[in-house]
Amino acid sequence: MAEAAVVAATAAAAALVFNTVRPNGGLPLIARTPYQVLVPCPEPGGAVQPIPADDPALSYDRTFLIDARPAEEFNRQHLPGAVHLPYDWLDPVPDGDLQQLVEAIAASGATRVAVYGDGGRPDNGEHLGREISGRGIKNVFFVSGGAPELFGVATP
Amino acid sequence: MNATRIAAWLTVPARWYLGLLFVAACLHKIADPHSFAIDIATYDILPLSLVNLAAITLPWIELAAGAMLLVGWRVRTSSVLIAGMMAVFLAALMVALARGLDMSCGCFASQGADEDPISRLTILRDLWWLGLALFVLVFDRGLVGIDHLLDRRPE
Repeated sequence: MAEAAVVAATAAAAALVFNTVRPNGGLPLIARTPYQVLVPCPEPGGAVQPIPADDPALSYDRTFLIDARPAEEFNRQHLPGAVHLPYDWLDPVPDGDLQQLVEAIAASGATRVAVYGDGGRPDNGEHLGREISGRGIKNVFFVSGGAPELFGVATP
Repeated sequence: MNATRIAAWLTVPARWYLGLLFVAACLHKIADPHSFAIDIATYDILPLSLVNLAAITLPWIELAAGAMLLVGWRVRTSSVLIAGMMAVFLAALMVALARGLDMSCGCFASQGADEDPISRLTILRDLWWLGLALFVLVFDRGLVGIDHLLDRRPE
């Protein structure tokens, strides 16, 4: 047992030395920022959870915001930093656009995705969220009540 | 030839198999510690402050233990190390499965969950490797390898 500990300690020491002489300086001994560990959902259907419009998490840096409303409503008002991807019931989101969005989310370092739409029944924000979640992104939320709840005005 | 003697001879291919396995498993982790750190972080077991340290050092311990098994040097020590690591990996896998994480085990070249998802089969596979390591630990008699050349026999 003691000999195993000595071997492990020696190997660990060699690892640390090797890490410091790597051409790029090696991996920092202590990670400064959390790793991007969004992992695919087990179910392809895509799970989403509601989040209240006044939840402070909506303003966190690591929340990826998506606006699912039509362009004119997005241009009129949207949450700072929100990415626009309109979700129209009659005109499905092009596959390429959705894939681009998913890749942008994965590359962003976000730990949470929040989608808001028209807040209707059904809510296009919730459905866009399901599509994103079904593409393998975890921690996807939709804003309960959508834009009307967020901005306090009824969407036409 | 009695059963213990047969078992002692069977530890030789078992040693080589485990040694090759661990050496093969560590190479990509040594070459790309960043990817391995992501694999470790995905398990969400270690605090962030220890993730990189584990990603840097663990593959070298795998390399040392695997190489020692291959050449038959300090076989019992290396099989203790391998068994210990397998026990830790198994515990991590079971925690990840219990949490419903859909992820790659990160055991070999980093792959996505689509190509190499963890499952009960992964647990069974690791249990088999743990069993082999324990088999070597118990039955090795230093028949082939450096221990044999040095005439260092387990008590």
